[in-house]
Amino acid sequence: MDAAIETVGLKKTFPAKGKGGAVEAVRGVDLSIPHGEIFGFLGPNGAGKTTCQRMLTTLLPIGAGQARVAGFDVAREPSKVRCHIGAVGQLGGSDGPATGRENLMLSGRLYGLSRRDTLRKIDEVSELLDLGEPLDRVVNTWSGGQKRRLEIALGIMHEPEVLFMDEPSTGLDPQNRANLWTHILRLKERGMTIFLTTHYLEEADALADRLAIIDHGEIVAEGTPEELKRQVSPEEVAQRIQREVPSGATLDDVFFKICGRRLRDAESEEEEVA
Amino acid sequence: MKKLFTEIGLFFQRKIRENVRQPVWIMSGLMTPLLYILLFSPLLRNLSHPPLTTAQILNSFVPGILTLLAFSTGMGSGWTIIHELETGVVERMRVTPAYRFSMLAGSVLADIASFLVPAVLVIVIAAFFGFEVHVVGLLILLVMLCLLVAIVSAWSTAIGLIVKQIGSLAAVVTTLQLPLTLLSGILLPISLGPLWLRVVAHIDPLYYTVEASRVLATGKLWATSIGVAWAVIVPLTVIVMAWATRVYRKAVA
Repeated sequence: MDAAIETVGLKKTFPAKGKGGAVEAVRGVDLSIPHGEIFGFLGPNGAGKTTCQRMLTTLLPIGAGQARVAGFDVAREPSKVRCHIGAVGQLGGSDGPATGRENLMLSGRLYGLSRRDTLRKIDEVSELLDLGEPLDRVVNTWSGGQKRRLEIALGIMHEPEVLFMDEPSTGLDPQNRANLWTHILRLKERGMTIFLTTHYLEEADALADRLAIIDHGEIVAEGTPEELKRQVSPEEVAQRIQREVPSGATLDDVFFKICGRRLRDAESEEEEVA
Repeated sequence: MKKLFTEIGLFFQRKIRENVRQPVWIMSGLMTPLLYILLFSPLLRNLSHPPLTTAQILNSFVPGILTLLAFSTGMGSGWTIIHELETGVVERMRVTPAYRFSMLAGSVLADIASFLVPAVLVIVIAAFFGFEVHVVGLLILLVMLCLLVAIVSAWSTAIGLIVKQIGSLAAVVTTLQLPLTLLSGILLPISLGPLWLRVVAHIDPLYYTVEASRVLATGKLWATSIGVAWAVIVPLTVIVMAWATRVYRKAVA
């Protein structure tokens, strides 16, 4: 059987703007993600994660290389791809002035479901993602965690084969984040392939079956979280200066070993550049 | 085809619902034309001797006000689309298999609806003060102005998607709005001006609708100016809608 997501030499270069030169955001990414897996796509801000996800979800034309998602060529059959995937962007995208039910109704209908099927589906996804109580309130009044679950619900109204999520837990407190993780695992149980873009190491560690680390537009490591952590020796772990006594290798150690800096440092660099 | 109509209906409904839940905007949309009639039209009274009657003033001023209303109603869509870019709504819609044209057409139609309601109200209120209502002429005029709303709304959406920032959009819109309004002859007929001004006015699409609107409002259904207005407005609608759909296809926050 085909992989759920497959890319060969995926590239994207943004043309020069103003003073800055052309930016090679993605420089040849090869991925093969089997069905039913949660695949973590990990890297610091600006590493090319979102650009990759935008290309795979047909939002951005592919620069070079090939990509197949849910069995369809992303460049040649974008509308087929759109029918078979769900995508939850970083910004969410729910309609604030509309109620949760109205949001879900619109989403279901746009994916081609009939009114009646959509109504049935709304009950199903709101149970799956625990949307119950605020469903008929205007989304502007919802809490961050509720909103995030709604936005995932919007992306799965049509039972997509592949669900893309870009930084789903950004801005959530630890409790809501853990809660979100439980819900993401529920989706996996339903057989959905999940492409999870994140810069939270713990998130990739907790959820991903396999993951790839991307830095400066290139994949620098790929494997299960355990495989990757095994590559880091205890001495290297000991080098990490931390208040608590480290219990073992973390994905941050993996990132450090490969990229020569901590993920948090990589991010503050990004901020300085910006 | 069924998919197209269903989607346009869904996007239209979404926008209308949003508008209805923000009654402040409906009020302000209504106030502008009424304020023009109330605070500006009395200035026109003494422009000629003997002074014009209220009915005469309204007869020449209301058609222009309707054009202005069409123009400003359509203009607002750029602000909305930037908000939708920033909140991820555009991106969410673009990952669905919905036609990009439906997304545009739904919001354009919603703008048309939010033009028609205050427009009819203005006509009714003006009629109360002596504005002569020629039903057929006004209906044709409203159809023409709906196309104008479509042009401006699609244009504003496309510009919003291109510049992506409220500040830049405001700069583009205010730079264009004043010259376009002045050259259109909405406030005072361009025929009062010198030759060069009358020539320059021809680059302003609003000029043609304002000229036609004054004729249509008198109940006259055919004149050269009406034909010219259609010849400008119809192709312009097609061109701008096609262009804005293309911009929609590529838009990323």
